[in-house]
Amino acid sequence: MSVLSRLLRSPEGAIGLALLSLLALMAIFAGVIFPDDPLSIVGPALVQPFTDASLPFGTDRLGRDVLAELVHGTRASLAVGIAAAVVALVIGSLVGTLAGFAGGLVDEALMRVVDAFQIVPSFLLALAFVSVAGASLPVVVLAIALGAWTAPARLARAEVLSIRERDYVAAARVIGMHPLEIALREVLPNALGPVLALSSVIVASSVLIEAALSFLGLSDPNIVTWGSMIAEGRNVLRSAPFLSIFPGIALMLTVLGVYLFSEGLAEALAKRRARA
Amino acid sequence: MSQFLLTRRALLQSTTMLAAATALPWKALAQSGGRLIVAADSEPKNLNPAIVASNGVFFVASKVVEPLAEASFDGKDGLAPRLATSWEGSADGLSVTFKLREGVTWHDGKPFTSADVAFSALNVWKPLQNLGRLVFANLEAVETPDEHTAIFKFSKPTPFQLIRNALPAVTAVVARHVYEGSADIAADPANAKLIGTGPFKFEEHRPGEYYRLAKNENYWGEGQPKLDEIVYRVLPDRAAAAGALEADEIQLAAFSQVPLADLDRISKVEGIKVYSTGYEGLTYQLVVEINHRRQELADLKVRQAIAHAIDKDFVVKTIFLGYAKPATGIIPENAPEFYDASVPTYAFDVAKANALLDEAGYPRGADGNRFSLKLLPAPYFAETKQFGDYLRQALAAVGIDAEIVNNDSAAHQKAVYTDHAFDLAIAPPVFRGDPAISTTILVRSGTPDGVPFSNQGGYKNEALDQLIDKANETVDVAARTELFRQFQKLVAEDLPLINVAEWGFITVARDSVKNVSNNPRWAVSNWADTELES
Repeated sequence: MSVLSRLLRSPEGAIGLALLSLLALMAIFAGVIFPDDPLSIVGPALVQPFTDASLPFGTDRLGRDVLAELVHGTRASLAVGIAAAVVALVIGSLVGTLAGFAGGLVDEALMRVVDAFQIVPSFLLALAFVSVAGASLPVVVLAIALGAWTAPARLARAEVLSIRERDYVAAARVIGMHPLEIALREVLPNALGPVLALSSVIVASSVLIEAALSFLGLSDPNIVTWGSMIAEGRNVLRSAPFLSIFPGIALMLTVLGVYLFSEGLAEALAKRRARA
Repeated sequence: MSQFLLTRRALLQSTTMLAAATALPWKALAQSGGRLIVAADSEPKNLNPAIVASNGVFFVASKVVEPLAEASFDGKDGLAPRLATSWEGSADGLSVTFKLREGVTWHDGKPFTSADVAFSALNVWKPLQNLGRLVFANLEAVETPDEHTAIFKFSKPTPFQLIRNALPAVTAVVARHVYEGSADIAADPANAKLIGTGPFKFEEHRPGEYYRLAKNENYWGEGQPKLDEIVYRVLPDRAAAAGALEADEIQLAAFSQVPLADLDRISKVEGIKVYSTGYEGLTYQLVVEINHRRQELADLKVRQAIAHAIDKDFVVKTIFLGYAKPATGIIPENAPEFYDASVPTYAFDVAKANALLDEAGYPRGADGNRFSLKLLPAPYFAETKQFGDYLRQALAAVGIDAEIVNNDSAAHQKAVYTDHAFDLAIAPPVFRGDPAISTTILVRSGTPDGVPFSNQGGYKNEALDQLIDKANETVDVAARTELFRQFQKLVAEDLPLINVAEWGFITVARDSVKNVSNNPRWAVSNWADTELES
């Protein structure tokens, strides 16, 4: 039985996959469903949701379509979440592998750098970085990755420490492979499994950090993000709570989807391993 | 965090204990007393209104340190006497004579005399104050023939109209004996613990928590002040002020601390009143600042097109929820002395804006855009930011692609007023009773880089500069007023900047607070007659 069908059999996996595919579809086809700028003013301000068929989720303080904003907001959230996780995983596993494989001084030095990053709360790090470098999508991705790469680095190093004593690594040494080649081609791929398991945690936290940053106004003001929608809605929380609730729910579903999906995936992989 | 909780609790405890302690005497002295708790959204460090003439400082300091005269709805020339009882300008514009109030003492018991006024004018207002620097630029000496007369002598004719209009904002009198001999008055520790002549004495400031002012028993006003104490609770979160008012934790929130979107709801809450008056003397203007160094924006047709692209009614109705007025020009309607409605106006007309841009030689490209601009909305108010979002859409409709750049206050001021790293910016300048105080500087050329709320867009118009200079030395009131009528016409024709709307703030108070908004600068006046009914 393939991993996919195992994944679909577990309720967590199925729900997670469904949620994530829905979000991915929304992100991909946002420009097709709502071809206009989601920030354009299309109606009267503060139309209540479910009252006007052409504006099903109502409008915000300036008369912008909340549904269009929500759908376009998926893009920013998913793009930042996934990109930040990829950057964090790449940097983290490279640093971890090098540290673990080289040992000695290099290990000490790299691990102290990891410590230095780990003691600063990742949100504060991102906050400081974005306020210095200016708010744009690449900067936000980098800022989040900056606080997230340490966990994969530690995990990769721990894995590498056990793998480097294995026979096939010794064999590679004997046939005269360059240590860097051994580290990257023999050791890293085998250390990657547990590190990848971290990815969902990182994606979920990246989505949340991005939302928190844009809630504080530290995001590109020319695109829609859920965090900035919540921040906008906060000013009229008492009279139009839906403006904050809709993006809040979207945020929650995204994080929940990622979490359930990774839970299901981990289970499916564990079963396969147990059988093998 | 725990420290915050503790001190917050301590504050609440002390408030309730004090309230309990004063509860009994309240019954006995039925007419006066009580503690007014007010929301404060900023915490200026330098509280000296003679140095920092800004509303954030005045809000607290105006109760402690008084000006020579205050704005008034029904007084002559719109003024009511405070420390001066009369003022008169000479016909040649070279001197102004103030008769000062007798029997006034400072909070430390020393008598108030003309020497204090002379010291304040020459050592504080003229060299140190942001607005006084302009108004008193030609002040040469202050003669004090007796203890209650001060004669201001100017080296060049200075319009008395300007001095008179500036009295409420720029003439907060500080005590000579406190500051004399101070090496650096601007950094003097006394600026954080004010000594004044006002109805309230400065008691304490707990950073992050509150300011406390207490009744001045020896105030010159008969039977004033009515309150025993004013506490300014620091509530930087705007949403919190509305909640605190409803819970009766505070009795008053001024300067639109309650968000406009909440006013409709809160006005229906029993025991709470919404006042949209009392800010006529501090009209804020919503302005699009233009960087004339940009080749496209140096073209008058492009500026006219932008003016035509903005729907002022939408801005007033949707962004300000009706608590504002569309602007016709650089001088607001709230200044009837100078206001002239017959200036050229730019009606909302997208077709005309498009035609003007075509004419100017900027056709739409393949993507529908003519050119791109950087738009920097000032972060001070929710409304300036929202107008930024709106303007971006309004410009998109005429084929101008505006990219919004958000900054915090410090970075915004640096970007716009020092580095000139903007194409369009949105600013909320204040009109303070006379165009020469803080309005002509918005369009006059020659201001050094870095001066906030001044012409930093590289705009230069000889005719306009001459007009401003001439008004600054024209003593005759009618002639000077006429010059300012020409001035606003010229600004409206040439559009060095675009005035979109003008607004005053909103005060929300419990019904128990009496005499609210009874003068045109009420929030920054002395509150000597403010009462609290228990």
